[in-house]
Amino acid sequence: MIWLNWRQFRLQALAGAAGLALIAVYLLYLGVEIRDAYDAYRTRCSDPGNCAQARSQFQSTYQNTLLFLAGGLGLIPIIIGTFWGAPLIARELELSTHRLVWNQSVPRRRWLISRMAFVGLAAMILTGLVSLLLTWAASPYDQVAADRFGAVVFGARNIAPIGYAFLAFALGTVVGLLVRRTLPAMAITGVVFLVLQFSVPNLVRPHLIPPEKTTMPMTSQDINQARNLGSITGAPSIGGLQVPGAPDAWISETSPLRTADGRTLGESTFNDCLNTPPKTGAGGTFGDTAVCLSKLNLHVDIEYQPSSRYWPFQLTETGLYLVVSGILIAIAIRRIRHA
Amino acid sequence: MPGGGADFQNGIMSKKNSAPVLQAEGLTKRYGRRAALSEVDLTIPAGRVVGLVGPNGAGKSTLLNLACGLLKPTSGSLRVLGSRPAENAAHLARVGFVAQDTPVYPSFSVADHLRLGARLNPSWDQELAERRITQVGLNPGQKAGRLSGGQRAQLALTIAAAKRPELLIFDEPAAALDPLARRGFLENLVEFVAELGASAVLSSHLLSDIERICDHLIVLCEARVQVAGKVRDLLAGHHRLVASQGELDRLPAGVEVIRMEHNGQYSRALVRTDVPPSSIPCPVEPVTLEELVLGYMSRANAAPAATVGAAAGEGPR
Repeated sequence: MIWLNWRQFRLQALAGAAGLALIAVYLLYLGVEIRDAYDAYRTRCSDPGNCAQARSQFQSTYQNTLLFLAGGLGLIPIIIGTFWGAPLIARELELSTHRLVWNQSVPRRRWLISRMAFVGLAAMILTGLVSLLLTWAASPYDQVAADRFGAVVFGARNIAPIGYAFLAFALGTVVGLLVRRTLPAMAITGVVFLVLQFSVPNLVRPHLIPPEKTTMPMTSQDINQARNLGSITGAPSIGGLQVPGAPDAWISETSPLRTADGRTLGESTFNDCLNTPPKTGAGGTFGDTAVCLSKLNLHVDIEYQPSSRYWPFQLTETGLYLVVSGILIAIAIRRIRHA
Repeated sequence: MPGGGADFQNGIMSKKNSAPVLQAEGLTKRYGRRAALSEVDLTIPAGRVVGLVGPNGAGKSTLLNLACGLLKPTSGSLRVLGSRPAENAAHLARVGFVAQDTPVYPSFSVADHLRLGARLNPSWDQELAERRITQVGLNPGQKAGRLSGGQRAQLALTIAAAKRPELLIFDEPAAALDPLARRGFLENLVEFVAELGASAVLSSHLLSDIERICDHLIVLCEARVQVAGKVRDLLAGHHRLVASQGELDRLPAGVEVIRMEHNGQYSRALVRTDVPPSSIPCPVEPVTLEELVLGYMSRANAAPAATVGAAAGEGPR
């Protein structure tokens, strides 16, 4: 079976290896460059007055590049699912070659397991290597940016991409087996996995581990640290807060501004503060508005994940993807008997 | 039967050899509400070259795909060489299958296909495979996607045969071939069967193919087996009777009319009998295989309306 696996996979493997080589060269180059920039930033930090500026300059130089890389390389699992997974069985069924290969002296299930193991392993190795290189290249930046839980960044580092790639591959295989035609199977796999990759970070990931809960009083200082205030619906919302004493923590849920009795702040009161705050001459991001709001004795209830949970999250999410892949493989093994 | 006593003495060995290559009981396969095979009972003894004939859509492909385990029966049982079809690796090795339209991997070369066979079959006979490939003039380096229909069929046949199976199953192997390629393919098929000492079952909607190479015949029509048996026995047990009107209405017991044709004053009947022809009170002529098969097919086609139609049609004459 190993020979047959290789013979049927070699073109795709070659394409994958070529892609990997290109990505690797670029990431090695980028990693060295980021390290040089990091050293320069540390050197400028010997003068404490320049440190904050040097830091934000270093951060902004690589922020977009690394975000695009995380997003772009996040497509690799989808490519694997559509180009390696979906055709695996669908193509055999389409060309009728299953009637040839299933009548050799290898039982169908063993054939399927062998083929899935071979290509699935290749998928995991490929994404694992890309992720390793990206994690390495970005590590000085990640240390400075303290945004490891960022929705896109989290899924592009360490072991999470391995889980994604295996699930995408297993999904493609099963869809191919059920749909029996290569092109529709590729399309369905791509769309389903894309939807999955958008929904998991927002809908599933925050609940993988029960979050810590805390209440943050909203002093004018706290309000000025937020990134945004208010929303187009006029609701008294606040966003981009930092958990006191845990700047790396991931805030997954922020309540609207609440009054001392726990009710949501009335919209008119909020908008009065937002639009026509009493002039006090206060500075800061939100100035008089912050002062106005702070006098109302407000707080927000937040749910957050301390940064010490980064690895438990990586492991849990990867494990979840592998378990779902396992279920899909079990379905494939069951279905192949009746194909 | 002289074999009967020997079977008892030789025990397991002869039992294995004498197990029918195919044994179906109440075998039924439905696709949705349509029955492709309906309550088929069939036994094919070992050592025969069996032809499965019937019109398109009669259930031939379904029966053969069931026999090699690519399909599962809806109900009933089917045993091939004494086991469930495709039960395990060892059983897969004993049955060779050439599917309809002889699928091969277009991107694989001829040599790749032989390698596939060698890697996937413990009983693979590389010498046999290479000899046959050379004999039919296939270039080992050629991509299978560029082969003609006849060459592809020869390749598929070689792969199926070189694993040295005890039973070779062919599903319409020659259907897409031109007459010359078909002749070459069928000759090759017969040589393989003889060399391997295997049994073979092949389906075709062309009776001439079957007639040329088969010694056992199954007529499948309307999802049922209409008649099955050794070609020689079938020919010996069927006759054409020609007599004047009415004379054929009084036939002795043991004579079954398969098909009746009226032509002016005379009637022609295809009959099956287990009594000596001499006991039939009218001229008895031998039948051709084609006549026999067509007789059963037209009976099957008319079957739903046959009882009513026959009574109404013959009454007034």
